[in-house]
Amino acid sequence: MMRVGRALVRHEFQERIRDRWVAVVSIVFMLMASGVTLYSRNAAESAITLTGPSLVTLASMLVPLVALILGHDVICGERDRHTLGLLLSLPASAGEIVFAKVIGRVLALSISVSLGLGAAIILAEEGTRGALVSLVWPTVLLGAAFLTLGTFLSAVVKRPGTAASLAVVVWFLLVFFYDLGLLGLLVLTDGAFPSEAISGLVAANPAGLYRVEMMAQYAGPTGFEDLSIASFLPARGVSVAIWVAWTFGLTAVTALTLTRQRSLR
Amino acid sequence: MGVLLGLVRPDAGKILVDGNTIRPGKQFKERLGYLPEAAAFAPNLTGKQVLRFFARARGVDSSRVVEVLNIVQLTDGSSRSVRGYSRGMIQRLGIAVAILTEPELLILDEPTGGLDQEGLSVIWAIIREWQERGRFILLASHDLVLMEKRVQQVVMLADGKIRAKGSPEELRSRAMLPIRVHFTLDPADPKADSLVKAVEGLGDCVPRRTDSRMVTEIAPDRLLSLLALQPMFNGTVTGVRIEEPGFDAVYESVLEVSP
Repeated sequence: MMRVGRALVRHEFQERIRDRWVAVVSIVFMLMASGVTLYSRNAAESAITLTGPSLVTLASMLVPLVALILGHDVICGERDRHTLGLLLSLPASAGEIVFAKVIGRVLALSISVSLGLGAAIILAEEGTRGALVSLVWPTVLLGAAFLTLGTFLSAVVKRPGTAASLAVVVWFLLVFFYDLGLLGLLVLTDGAFPSEAISGLVAANPAGLYRVEMMAQYAGPTGFEDLSIASFLPARGVSVAIWVAWTFGLTAVTALTLTRQRSLR
Repeated sequence: MGVLLGLVRPDAGKILVDGNTIRPGKQFKERLGYLPEAAAFAPNLTGKQVLRFFARARGVDSSRVVEVLNIVQLTDGSSRSVRGYSRGMIQRLGIAVAILTEPELLILDEPTGGLDQEGLSVIWAIIREWQERGRFILLASHDLVLMEKRVQQVVMLADGKIRAKGSPEELRSRAMLPIRVHFTLDPADPKADSLVKAVEGLGDCVPRRTDSRMVTEIAPDRLLSLLALQPMFNGTVTGVRIEEPGFDAVYESVLEVSP
């Protein structure tokens, strides 16, 4: 990354730390993850089969919301504060600036995720800790995808208030109603809708893909057979392509959207 | 300014700098310093942190941060959050950001907005320094009266079109606005009434007299004929003050004649 980009990553991270955003989200996530872990630890014979999926469910709902809120004002917030012009007057392309801002915020988000899941890992049974550690990176990736989506919203609307409302709507649509919608589709078509298409649609949503990949890790192939959703798990290459599209691809689209706007002030 | 900074896409035309067509890309932006209208910064960062970010982004040594804080007289407040800054302090921080790299082209958008007297002195000093170094400053301002004495060329815009350009003196001459002359009189001197009549006799002059004062307006090219009366009324006239029209009046006049 170039000089301006590196400086901006640091600046974004510093700003998020200074406004206590990281601290607040970390505490909330730590409390919830700790609660889930303690409950699972006491409730199950094989803790990992309950703790892991419970944490996945918690993270798949909380992290996208936090990430969308974190990303909703990346561009329109600067515009609203009248700082976008000064930022874009720096010797860097709009693309470099958008990428740097996203990376800086993903770093801040990854601290919250690490602290939240870290608390859960410490409280988990000794034998299950290793499996829970492997949850950290995919959860950061999930956050990065939704943060990028929030950033895209911030580039297409003018006001942070509008972007925040849109972010909440997007969260409801992708995290809550998406799977219900697919289920409704199956019911309405009486199962005639191709299952491959349903699998593809589940995997196309980062929250769905995260859930499927993590559940596969904790439940194992047998668990998937029992649930009859083995086909939801895409091939490794497809999975990587989907994550790349949601993070780098969408950031590139955001940068392009910004450069095509007539006035960037 | 927006086009020059790459913030506004032009409908047509090209940007010429020193006779060369340029694109407002990275290379060109390295040469620029920019103070936006109503400068603003992340409120939760300190002034020093803001400057350090711009110094890193511009590849400037951190010792320059201390230097510019000193130039804009913000050293004392530099460890406080921008949230607690007055409008004038934020504007001075914006000026500090603009001059960090000692750019060859300084773009200042409404630089006097919100500035207190201390801030105005800072901006005048910077403008003077850039002029002495032969560097270019592009400055947009509605504060014509304040700017007149400090700029070399003025471009008057209205409705996005250039209406007039030239040095302040050229534009003032073109406007031909009447000059107001204030005479201080000795009220006891019987020749005071004769002076009023003599001024009326010059034509186009309508003097207004109170006990010890007389004010009249006259076209700039006839000022000498008015002042030539003064030796004839030595003793009656105890003082003369010439008041040129403000540059805002020149602007209005120029717009009227070049619609």
